[in-house]
Amino acid sequence: MFGLIGHSSSFRDARNTARDLGFEDLADGELDLWCSAPPQLVESFEVTSSTGKTIEGTYIDSCFVPEMLSRFKTATRKVQNAMELAQKRGINITALGGFTSIIFENFNLAKFQQIRSTLLQWDRFTTGNTHTAWVICRQVEQNAPRLGIDLKAAKVAVVGATGDIGSAVCRWMANKTGVAELLLVARQQQRLEDLREELGGGRILTLEQALPEADVVVWVASLPQTLEIDSNSLRKPCLMIDGGYPKNLDSKVMSEHVTVLKGGIVEFARDIGWQMMTVADMANPRRQLFACFAEAMLLEFEGIHTNFSWGRNNITLEAMEQIGMASIRHGFSALGIDPNTLNPQPLAA
Amino acid sequence: MASSLLDPAVDGTPVLDVELPDFTTEAYKSAYSRINAIVIEGEQEAHDNYISLGTLIPDQADELAQLARMEMKHMKGFQACGKNLSVEPDMVFAKEFFSDLHGNFRSALEENKVVTCLVIQALMIEAFAIAAYHIYIPVADPFARKITEGVVKDEYTHLNYGQEWLKANFDSSRDEIIEANKANLPIIRRMLEEVADDAAELKMEKESLIEDFLIAYQEALMDIGFNSRDLARMSAAALVA
Repeated sequence: MFGLIGHSSSFRDARNTARDLGFEDLADGELDLWCSAPPQLVESFEVTSSTGKTIEGTYIDSCFVPEMLSRFKTATRKVQNAMELAQKRGINITALGGFTSIIFENFNLAKFQQIRSTLLQWDRFTTGNTHTAWVICRQVEQNAPRLGIDLKAAKVAVVGATGDIGSAVCRWMANKTGVAELLLVARQQQRLEDLREELGGGRILTLEQALPEADVVVWVASLPQTLEIDSNSLRKPCLMIDGGYPKNLDSKVMSEHVTVLKGGIVEFARDIGWQMMTVADMANPRRQLFACFAEAMLLEFEGIHTNFSWGRNNITLEAMEQIGMASIRHGFSALGIDPNTLNPQPLAA
Repeated sequence: MASSLLDPAVDGTPVLDVELPDFTTEAYKSAYSRINAIVIEGEQEAHDNYISLGTLIPDQADELAQLARMEMKHMKGFQACGKNLSVEPDMVFAKEFFSDLHGNFRSALEENKVVTCLVIQALMIEAFAIAAYHIYIPVADPFARKITEGVVKDEYTHLNYGQEWLKANFDSSRDEIIEANKANLPIIRRMLEEVADDAAELKMEKESLIEDFLIAYQEALMDIGFNSRDLARMSAAALVA
């Protein structure tokens, strides 16, 4: 069995979901009430691969909402308790979705393995970042040519280049895709220097410097609320892959020359009998899902019960290839631009 | 998913390690006199309740008597914790604290309602105790910490006793469990509110007390046979003040 740990994208959404499920008390409750709510097993469902193999999965809502980010202890508890629940239910491999893995990583929760009477086994969990990184690279490779961008001559900016997903994307772009130049954007100078050395190339720039130069921009960082992008200063055409969380780039860029694609989203070959991706605002919630969730499914399909994606900057090209092959084999495809209309599918809904 | 341009609130590595309270202040001792009394009274009542349950389930009276003996041992351990800090437990407060729940247990006992008795004692009170002890352990004085760690292990077996019995009799117990839950969970919530300020003085947060209680309680309910929708519905009363 595989598991997915997710959460609502806002407190308002969480209340609406509670109301839809018939939990009026929760729906009417203030944030304080939600801070005390334990994780919930929301639903179980089956997924059948293109190979014919069927696996069973469970969706756990951690009852975390992004409004809790400023409450360090609360956010920590939500993540730890959801992980404990997944393990106690005997789930082999669980993906940490949305802010779950971000909180785990940034709050360094690997230091706290004992949760009440449960010793968390890290090999039951995955951040799903390897598959997310692979899917983002594939989205670049498949969609840039559709916009007339020749990747061999293109400059690709990676915003959040030193993060777990960002560095993996850079590695793949440098070694597998063969882009003309990588523009590396992140906050921490030393990590940027280290990354450039590892890649054997790439130019370190600020966001303001990189954007007007880039034919493709891969965002793998949450966008600061205050970020403003001058669409006129961007290359024409420009492909933007919104691989951060939450996915709100489309509200920042309004230009016919710029195509924004939701990054790290996959579409499955057939419908999945679940409800939860409606909550995640997917255009086709029966088939579309976060690539990190899909990684847990892939690991279960493949019988790889280990923390395939774990820690920071551990994603190898070999692991990306392995999960990428499995992704195709089992029926996932990276979300792309509709070639007929050149409108990105997720924005059409 | 990773992120580097993250909201500053999530970035960096805050310290999760807890700072121990000063066990010698008057404020701490005052709060401890009530919390310690609640724990002592709770263990005493648990002892009495398991003995009483033995009269309703005679074929398991021996096992229940054994559980009761454990509760007595815990009570003595917690009395020693109070003495160790030179604190006199406020037993009058504690009796009053438990009076509603105690009353409901006695009424159910008189009506031979085994299910209600088990829900109150073996599910609710045990889940409450497990939650409180888990949260207390990291902020306890070294003496009390050792004792409480020993107690927690036992309490799981008590929660488990009620769980197993109700699971074995789920079909015939279901409606009564729901009713007992409805009648008594708001009392548990009120008790949590009443103790919140004193608990905070001991560095135990109300928010996590409620969450940990619900985790233990929901886990028991799920094991007994309720589905996840039932759980959310049944536990709402513990969340709403």
